[in-house]
Amino acid sequence: MAKRDNGLNLQSSNLITRFFIGLFVAFMSVFILGPLFWLALQAFTTTWTFPNIKPDGWTLIWWRRVFETPSMVEAIRNSFITAPIVVLLSAVICLPAAYAAARYNYIGRRVFLIGMFAANSFPKLGLFASIATLFYALNLMGTMVGVIIIQLLGTIIYMTWIPAAAFAAVPKNLEEAARDAGASKFRVFRGITLRMAAPGIFVAMVMSFISAFDEAQGTYLVGAPSFFTMPTEMYALVLTYPVQIAAVFSILLAAPSVLLIGLARKQIIGGQLAEGFQIK
Amino acid sequence: MATVNLVATKEGFAAVTAAKRSTLGFFMALPPVLVLILFVGAPIFIAFIFSIGYTGGPNQIVSIIGQDIYKKDSWWGTADAYLAVFRDPRFLPDFILTIVVTFVSTFVVLLMAMGMGLYQRIRGGKIASILSMLSLVPLFVPVVIAAFAVAQFFNGVGFMRTFMSQFGIDFPIITATRNAIIIGTIWTSLPFAILMITSGLQSVPNALIETAQDAGASFMRIVRTILIPLAFVPIVIAGTFTAIGIMGSFTVPVFLGPNQPTMLGVEISNFFTAYNRPQQSIVMAFVIFAAASGIAVLYIWANIRSAKQSGRI
Repeated sequence: MAKRDNGLNLQSSNLITRFFIGLFVAFMSVFILGPLFWLALQAFTTTWTFPNIKPDGWTLIWWRRVFETPSMVEAIRNSFITAPIVVLLSAVICLPAAYAAARYNYIGRRVFLIGMFAANSFPKLGLFASIATLFYALNLMGTMVGVIIIQLLGTIIYMTWIPAAAFAAVPKNLEEAARDAGASKFRVFRGITLRMAAPGIFVAMVMSFISAFDEAQGTYLVGAPSFFTMPTEMYALVLTYPVQIAAVFSILLAAPSVLLIGLARKQIIGGQLAEGFQIK
Repeated sequence: MATVNLVATKEGFAAVTAAKRSTLGFFMALPPVLVLILFVGAPIFIAFIFSIGYTGGPNQIVSIIGQDIYKKDSWWGTADAYLAVFRDPRFLPDFILTIVVTFVSTFVVLLMAMGMGLYQRIRGGKIASILSMLSLVPLFVPVVIAAFAVAQFFNGVGFMRTFMSQFGIDFPIITATRNAIIIGTIWTSLPFAILMITSGLQSVPNALIETAQDAGASFMRIVRTILIPLAFVPIVIAGTFTAIGIMGSFTVPVFLGPNQPTMLGVEISNFFTAYNRPQQSIVMAFVIFAAASGIAVLYIWANIRSAKQSGRI
C-alpha cells in the first residue's frame, strides 16, 4: 500500500479536486445513509407534522406495540427458523458441488455453472408464479417447506460459486505436500483445504442467510395466507399500520444483516464475493 | 502376450484417476443442479408450454381458475396469448419504462462504481475506505426496507421536502414517478457493482500502471488502455447482473413507481393475482426473460473470452 502512495500521484491534490471529492462523499453519505436514518428516526417519534424539522415528540411506545402484536412476533419467529434451515440445507446441497467445480473436470461442468446463471436471469416474479402452479400440485402452498424451497433457490448461486472460487484458490501442492508427509485424505481436506477455504464459505453463508432472510416476493406468493416472515409481514405493515410501526419493524429486520456485515466485512471487501462470480 | 496393464503405467494411472474423479465430480455437482432442474427448470418449462396454449396436465388448475386463457389451436400451440399481451395498450408503455429504467440505472450504477473503484485503486487512503464502507451498506438492507426508506425520504412529508422547506424551497414530490424507481434501483444495485469493479481494478498489478506512468501516459490513458481492459470481465459481470436484476425488479417499482405505466415485474404480479390473467402474466415473464437472455449472452461471452485469454480453454 505504501508503495502506491508515491507511485500513483496524479496531480489531483489541488483545492478544487478536493472540494469535488468532499462534495461527492457528502452526496453519497446523504444518498445512502439519509433514507435509513430518516426511517430509523420515525421509530422513536409520536407524530411528525410537516414541515417541522423536529418531530412532535419522542416515544418508545411503537416498540411495545410490535412485540404485543402476535402476528408480528410470529413473523419474527418464522424468519429466525427458516433462514438458518435454508443456510444449512443449502450448504449440504451446494458445498460438495462447489468443491467438485473447483477440483474436478467432469462432463458438463461449464454447462452446470452457466445453467445456474441462466436460472438467475429468469425474472424472479415470473419464476415464482410458475413455481406456485407446481406447488399447488405438490400441496406445498402456504407451508414452511414451500417457503424453505423458495428461499433455498436464491442461495444456490452464492453457496456454489463463492466456495468454488475459494476451493480453487487453495494451492494444490500444499495438499500434495501434506499427503506426502503421510496425512490421510480426510485430514488434508479438513486441516488444509477446508481451513483455507473457510473465509469464502463464511461469506457464502452470510450472503445466503441474508438472501433467505430478506426474500419477500416468493415467500409472499407461496406462504401468504398462512405463513408470514418478517419481510412479507412488512408488505402488510406498510399498507395498514402507521409508519412508525413499519420503522420499528425495519430496524428489527435490518439488525441481523447489519450484525453479519460487521463479521464478514473484511472477507467481502477482500474480494471473496467478487471472485465467485467469474466462471472459470 | 505383451498385454500392458494400463493402471501400472504412470499415464494409465493418471487417466483412470482422472476418469474416476470426473465421475465423482459429476455426482458431487448433481444435487444443486437437481434442485434447480426441479424447481426452476421444470416450472419454467411448464410455464412456457402454458404460455403457448398447453392447458392440460400441471396447468389444468390454473387454466380453470384464470381468465382469458388461450388454448392451442395448431400442432405446436398458439401465439394468441403473446399477441394479446402485445396488443394490450398497457404493454408498450410498461415495456418502454422497464427498458429505460434498466438502461439509465445500470449506466449510472456502472459510472458511480467505476468512479469509486478508480478512486480507491489510484488514491487509496482514508476517504476511499470510507466510501467503500458506505457503498456496502445497501447490500445488507432488505429490498423491502430500502424501497420503503427511499419512499419515506422523498415523499410529500419526507426529509427532502422537510429540509428544503426550511429554506423556503418547495422540493418536488418525486415518489410515484419514473425517477423515483431509478433512484431506488440505483440505491439497491450499487454495492454489488462496486464490489465487483473494485475487486477487478485492485487485481491489476501496480507495476503495469507505474510503468505506463513512467512512460508518460496520462491518467485517462492509463484508465482507458490498462485498467478498463484488464478489469473488463468484472465490469461486464457487474453490468449484466445489475441490468438483469433491475429488469425483473418488483419491490422497488411497487413502493416507488407510478401505478401506470409500471415496470413489467409489477405487471406480472398484477396480471397473475389482481387481474387473474395468469397466462398473460407468464407471457410477460418470458418477454423479460428474452431481454435478460440478450444481456446474459454478454456475460457468458466475456467469461469465455477471459478464459481463452488465460489459456484455460
